[in-house]
Amino acid sequence: MNRIEPPSFILHFLRWFCKPEYHADIEGDLLEIYERRVDSLGKTRTNLLLYRDIILLCRPGIIRSAKITQPLNNNGMFKSYFIMGWRNLWKSKLYSSLNVLGLTFGMVIFLLIGLYVYDELNFDTQHSKGDRVYRVITHEKNQHNEATTVAAAGYMLAQESRNALPEVEMTTRMQRLGRRNLVDPENPVHVQETVTGADEYFLQLFDFPLIEGDRRTALKEPNSIVITEDLAMRIFGKKDVLNKNLQYDFMDAPVKITGVLKSHPQNSTFNFTSVISEATWMSDEGFRREMESDWASTSFTVYALLRPDAVADSVSKKMTRVVYANTTMAPGTVIKHSLQPLKAVHLRSEGIADGARNSNVDSIPQGNPVYITVFSFTAIFVLLIAGINYTNLTTARASSRLKEIGVRKAIGAVRSNLVKQFLVESIITTSIAFFIAVLIVALLLPAFNDFVNKRFELFASVGLRFWAAAMMLIIGIGILSGGYAAMLLSRFNPVSLLKGLKLKNGGDFSLRKALVILQFTISTVMIISTIVLFMQVRFLNNTELGFDKDLMVVIDVNVQKARSNFEWVKNEMSQLSSVKHVSATSRVPGEWKSIPRVKLKKEGSTAELQIAYTIAADKDFISTYGIELQKGRNFQNNADSLSVMINEAAAKILGITDVSDEIIIPETARNQFFTPVYDDASLAFKPRVVGIVKDFHFQSLRTKIEPLIITYYANPIFPIDYYTVKIHANDIEATLGKLKAIMVTNDETEPFEYHFLDDQLALFYIEDERSQTILGWVALASVVIACLGLFGLATYSAEQRLKEIGIRKVLGASLLSIIAMLSQDFMKLVLIACCIAFPLAWVATDWWLQEYAYHIDIEWWFFALSGIIATGIALLTVSYQAIKAAVVSPVEILKSE
Amino acid sequence: MKKIQLGEFEEVVLLTVGILYGNAYGVTIKDEIEQRLNREVTIGALQVTLRRLESKGFLTSKQGDPSESRRGRPKLYFEITAYGKKALEYTKESRDELWKSLPKLVLKLK
Repeated sequence: MNRIEPPSFILHFLRWFCKPEYHADIEGDLLEIYERRVDSLGKTRTNLLLYRDIILLCRPGIIRSAKITQPLNNNGMFKSYFIMGWRNLWKSKLYSSLNVLGLTFGMVIFLLIGLYVYDELNFDTQHSKGDRVYRVITHEKNQHNEATTVAAAGYMLAQESRNALPEVEMTTRMQRLGRRNLVDPENPVHVQETVTGADEYFLQLFDFPLIEGDRRTALKEPNSIVITEDLAMRIFGKKDVLNKNLQYDFMDAPVKITGVLKSHPQNSTFNFTSVISEATWMSDEGFRREMESDWASTSFTVYALLRPDAVADSVSKKMTRVVYANTTMAPGTVIKHSLQPLKAVHLRSEGIADGARNSNVDSIPQGNPVYITVFSFTAIFVLLIAGINYTNLTTARASSRLKEIGVRKAIGAVRSNLVKQFLVESIITTSIAFFIAVLIVALLLPAFNDFVNKRFELFASVGLRFWAAAMMLIIGIGILSGGYAAMLLSRFNPVSLLKGLKLKNGGDFSLRKALVILQFTISTVMIISTIVLFMQVRFLNNTELGFDKDLMVVIDVNVQKARSNFEWVKNEMSQLSSVKHVSATSRVPGEWKSIPRVKLKKEGSTAELQIAYTIAADKDFISTYGIELQKGRNFQNNADSLSVMINEAAAKILGITDVSDEIIIPETARNQFFTPVYDDASLAFKPRVVGIVKDFHFQSLRTKIEPLIITYYANPIFPIDYYTVKIHANDIEATLGKLKAIMVTNDETEPFEYHFLDDQLALFYIEDERSQTILGWVALASVVIACLGLFGLATYSAEQRLKEIGIRKVLGASLLSIIAMLSQDFMKLVLIACCIAFPLAWVATDWWLQEYAYHIDIEWWFFALSGIIATGIALLTVSYQAIKAAVVSPVEILKSE
Repeated sequence: MKKIQLGEFEEVVLLTVGILYGNAYGVTIKDEIEQRLNREVTIGALQVTLRRLESKGFLTSKQGDPSESRRGRPKLYFEITAYGKKALEYTKESRDELWKSLPKLVLKLK
């Protein structure tokens, strides 16, 4: 029979909108009528009528509600998954708590390190236009082919790129001119501050939040200053200080406060406390003329805001062209500009000197990308170890749940139900662990902040993105670690499960073994790294530096009179009974500011000029620091202003064997660039070597001992900048008070800044010490987590083999042999892990140690010790279970059969 | 007795289900009304009314056998419940009551 079929799409449409319980009979009615009409009316008209009928069926009573597109019983299943999951966790409390504990440990470590790394990676992200801001870098090569890379550029470069290059939206200049006293003229308390100058665009290019003042005009007028709230609190004790005056000791006119900035967040590379408008010095005619011809200097830090579609590389090339178009370089000198993204400034500035600052201004602190990488990896590894634990324990315990799975399958659970069941269980476990971990992190945070020198708050400081990412990752871990078990366990055939057949899951067991090996490999590598770090840091702090660093007070020379009147100050100080020695120097051994360098050669030598560091010192330098004089003599009196002492390294490169040789010093460099000592470049400073001192570590142990020239304090290169006072150990506070009194008597504006030399030296290695401690804790945590897993596995395997143990004991096996039998499976794994870990750790730590010119050798006992620690802890964990199983009376075990 | 009010179309449908006693399903009800009252009934209006009457308890339904002309779709037969009968009676009585009270004069107006 040739029936005419109604168009199917309209029937689909009906099925789609109609309530399912009404659908069948309504469709029946429609079809019956359709059939009838088709005979009398023909197909086309019938179809039209059908459309009309169906469209008229679209009424509230017929259309199904949108909510129940999902069959309800799925939700019911999820409820059941939760209940079952919870019951299962509750039933096996030991394993559940091992799981939760391991995951919690892992997450705590992960979150803490995550906070730190996240912060380091998000430096300078507070500026809304930050992703278009670049710092101008100058690469310079001089006629001797010496290359310098410095984060600075000339005045006109900023000016001209803004006008001439269409890709550049805005530029700003900043410079740090030195450290000077800044006082409130109405209430003069002397505070030494870094003098920072910037042009009027500074606050427009960057979004430093202003509490008061107008960001467009604050730095426009001469003699304007913008200060941070922090400095306002220190000087005035309040924050609403707009339009008040401040006085810098080097300026004639006072400066007016035109803006108050919020303090910098901790993830900012900017650390200025005040900014003076550049217009302040531009009102000086001579200065302005000098600036207008400054194309290629490195006096300014220049930031450029590019338009969104600009390509940094091509813009920097254009900048270089602009410079060449307007100025001629010294013969043989080549410069090139590049643009460094603002985000890269904190972590990716290796090899770029922080320019545009006076040599007494500290360079901005750099992040260490190596440690960031290492930390990120360790955090992920620890989380991985914890995840592996979960997988291992769950799969190991699979067989005790086989019946459950079999019954579920027999009742009609399909595989996806079981998979969901296991996933829900693992997500419950990870959620509990996450919750506990966040609590623990909240408790640990104050101590952690202290330790890493940051100010984290649990939620405020990193924002939602971090926590969203952390949540995602942790749920991911839950799904991954539960996923394998879920896939594995849901695979079996229900009949064999219920018949109680043993499962041949050899493949699964070897995977478990591999995971244990992986866990212990990671742990062992971490133990070894911790040992190496610990030994290296101890070595750094204990190495004989070649000078005395204990009980040395280093006082900064901050006011002019402390420099000019130093004989009097020294004399006063040395008369104090608690003072052993006093010396005045330009730089101190273990210096934290940049040490000036000179170019020099031996008189009459035809060799190339060599580079050496230089410290100016008086005659008491050697006795105060306890430096050993090898040949010749110390400085004696002012007749020595043309004498120098050199260290062994300098003697070697200069080819000086005898004191009384003359050396020629034509050029000197306070920062990155060498300039002639005298204005007349043909002249040179020509001192005579009077003594050779034994090498001492005047710099960090990361670098080799470089050549060093010790000039007399009265020299054309660099004046004195510090007093070093060797004091007696008793009553240090009182001594400091007396020293301060002398300094203040000398000049009442003296702010008295001092450091203890040994503290200052320790700062060189503070990152390393910090890393050592962090790595130590992480290593501990990873071992503990791995052992938790091992403990669970051992417990389980002992339970499984109880019958076997019973029979062995009946047949006469000794306690020891049973313990050995149970332990050896696991010990094998740990030993294999050690074998993999040793070479890995050796390569990694050796690579790290190469950063230090002076470092420990990697010794065999590091490996032996870590091997013993790893196997020892593993053995303890396993043998506890083994002994417990072995001492049970065989009757107890076997009676039930 | 508050919820017993029937709408005009509801009343028609309910009565028709009664008339078709034992053979009342969508198509027959539609045909019956169309024939007797000479008015067109759309399936949409009819279905909505049937379901509403069912949910109010005036009708019950039971599934019949699928038939060939319906491509295997079942018929849904409707039947008046006792409550539905009561509702019809109540409606009729209340109309009668009103009729009685109508002054004769009014009826004469044509």
